[in-house]
Parts: sequence; C-alpha cells; structure tokens
Amino acid sequence: MRIITHTCPDCGTVVAANELEKNRVMKCPRLDCNTVLRFEDLPDSEREHFLEHRDQYQI
Amino acid sequence: MKGIILAGGRGTRLRPITHTGPKQLVPVANKPVLEYAIEDLKDAGITEIGVVLGNLGREAIQQHLGDCSEYGVEITYIIQGNPLGLAHAAGCAREFVGDDDFVMYLGDNILDNGVVELVESFEAGDYAAGIALQRVANPEQFGVADVDENGNVLKLVEKPDDPPSNLALIGMYVFSPAIFDAIETLEPSWRGELEITDAIQSLLQDGHAIDSHVVEGWWKDTGKPEDILEANRLVLETIDDTRNGTIETNAEISGTIDLAESATIESGAVVRGPVSIAEGTTIKSDTYVGPFTSIGKDCEVEHTHIENSVIIGESEVSASGKIVDSLIGRNAQVKSAEGLLPEGRRLVVGENSNLKL
Ligand SMILES: [Zn+2]
Repeated sequence: MRIITHTCPDCGTVVAANELEKNRVMKCPRLDCNTVLRFEDLPDSEREHFLEHRDQYQI
Repeated sequence: MKGIILAGGRGTRLRPITHTGPKQLVPVANKPVLEYAIEDLKDAGITEIGVVLGNLGREAIQQHLGDCSEYGVEITYIIQGNPLGLAHAAGCAREFVGDDDFVMYLGDNILDNGVVELVESFEAGDYAAGIALQRVANPEQFGVADVDENGNVLKLVEKPDDPPSNLALIGMYVFSPAIFDAIETLEPSWRGELEITDAIQSLLQDGHAIDSHVVEGWWKDTGKPEDILEANRLVLETIDDTRNGTIETNAEISGTIDLAESATIESGAVVRGPVSIAEGTTIKSDTYVGPFTSIGKDCEVEHTHIENSVIIGESEVSASGKIVDSLIGRNAQVKSAEGLLPEGRRLVVGENSNLKL
C-alpha cells in the first residue's frame, strides 16, 4: 500500500494523507507552528491515488 | 541511526486513566513511560527521534516533550492520524528516516536493558532488519520467530497453534530503509492494518537477512493497569536512593527511597522502600507507604496504608484501611466514610472504572 505524507515546510512535521484529506485545510499539528497545510499541497498523482483508494486509508 | 517511537493508540485497556491523556504519559516510578523510550534511544547514541502520533493525545505528548532540549535529542513529529498499523506508522516516517537505519520502539513498552545490544547485533552484519525477541511460556499468544543457530530469522508466524520456538516478538525493531519498499507491497490485513510482521516476512521472501536479538532482562508492555503496577515494581527495584526531600525526626524509613526535594515525610509516618515520592507531596503521620509504591506530584497521603500502588498525582488519599495493587488517577480524592451518616461508601466513579471494595 502506498503511504502518502506531506512535510510541513517550516517545522518538518510529517502529516499522513488521511489527516490532510480529513481536514482539507489545517494548521500544522506541531503546537508551536502556525503554518497552514492543505490536501492540495500534495502532488496531483498522490491526491488522485489517495482518493481512488480512499477506503484503504480509513479504519 | 535514527529512532521512531510509536505514541498513538487509544489506550482503551487503561481506561479510565486514558480518558484524559495518552497511555504513553502514564507514569512508572514517577516518569512517563514514553521517557524511558527516549532515554533508551539516547543511550544507543540516537538523537534524531521521530515521534509518531495518532488521533489522541497529540497535544499532551507535545506539551510534555516540549522541544526536548532537556533530553539532548531532536524530535520530529509524525502524524499518522488513523491507526492503520505499525507498518503504516513506519511508512509515514520514510521521509524523516531518509537513507538511515532506524530503531522502531513502541512508546508504551519498557525494557530493562534498553536497545543498545539490539542495535549492536544489527550493525554487526549486513541485515535488512533486526528484531527483539523474548522467551515466553505461551508463544501461541504472540508473534513467534523461527531462528537458526546464528540468530538469523527463518520465518515469522502470528499466534501459531504449533509454535516453532518460544521466542516471541516484542515491540522493538531495527530497520534499514529496505523496509519501506517492503511496506509498499503490503495490503491491509483482515483487521484493516498494515502489519509490521508482514513487512519483515516480505523482506525474508526477497532474500534479505534478518537479525534477531534475545532480550534477557525484563520487558513490559504497559497496556493494562496491572502492567503499569508490574512495570512500576520492576523499575523501582532499580532506582537509586535519593533522599533529597524532608524527612522529619520520628519518621520511620527503610529501603530505597527516591524522595524529591520538595517532598516531605512527616514524623510518625512509616515508609518502606523501594518507593518513589515526587515533588510537593506530603506523607503525613499515621501513614504507611509500603514497597513498590510511586506517589506523583502534589499529593497528600494520610491515615492510610498503601503498598504496591501508583498514585499519578495531585490527589488526596486519607482513607483508613489498606490500599494495595491500585492505580489512582490524577486529582482523585480517596477519603474515609467513617462518621458519615447514613453509613456506607460514597463513590463518584468515572466510566470504565474498576473498584474492589
Ligand atoms: Zn509546521
């Protein structure tokens, strides 16, 4: 299974795609970082793969 | 070498304690379980650590760890979100790990001897992975490894009816980056998770060598209240006597006592170690604190006999009678019903609590 993550450009916190997709737009989960992270920050191919196999990333 | 500590999970077996915080922050000998993992990694020379967080307890764990400068390690947070399995957690760390090898440590486990030997054994050969094993009496309830005489893993089997050995996998691993390609080939198991044993099995099938290391000291998964008490007992057996607090004359003290600077044992109290008493806590007169007890910060204990127990902190315990084998959550009041009418016990008990009266 392909694991898709996005790394906050400011603090290096790694966020799994399921979390980004759930929120679409979110504050970086690191407490002292206010950077906004978006599902759209992922490359098109990764977003498409995630959405096509969305069930695998839920539990 | 980097480290990743898995600190997700819902802690359902530790309710009600985990209603208000993650299981990795439950204290053992007055230190959160998670800190033992950080110290073990640091002892193995690992200072770049990824902490994998799930859906619960993210803020609490970050608040507790802060920037980690006091530990001398650098923390990167990895948000796994949905609990999609240990292999998914590892896979989320791919970018953080890069081309390094890494130790994967379950954040609710405590090991007597740390991970230094596991890492050294892995580094002594050309292995794609190294797994920690422990001899158990009931291998059919664990993931079990079949190994040759040199410790090379031949096969892994999950909860086998007919175990090939009594060597159970415990929650410590070392991986080379080869594990990431193995994880990509996996499909979710029947329980919807990516299983780390499947990833290791896939490495074996591709002809990679897998090392094993049999852990000789104790190992404890602290998932349940009785495990916390057992881990607390095991750790207290190893603590140093540091009586930094106030011990009034006529307090009766024996055994190993870890007494924080601002803690007090009043005159007339009896404390028999090994015991750990944290900052701001007072053991009042007419109180017995027996072996294998940890009392957290800012507690008052009075008129009570307590032993083999953990009081997490900010609690008042003044019930007459004996308290044994107990785990008492933060800000709890355990007082006497003596003299109250009508006669009887008075309880305000949270969901999933467990009392034996
Ligand atoms: Zn950030």
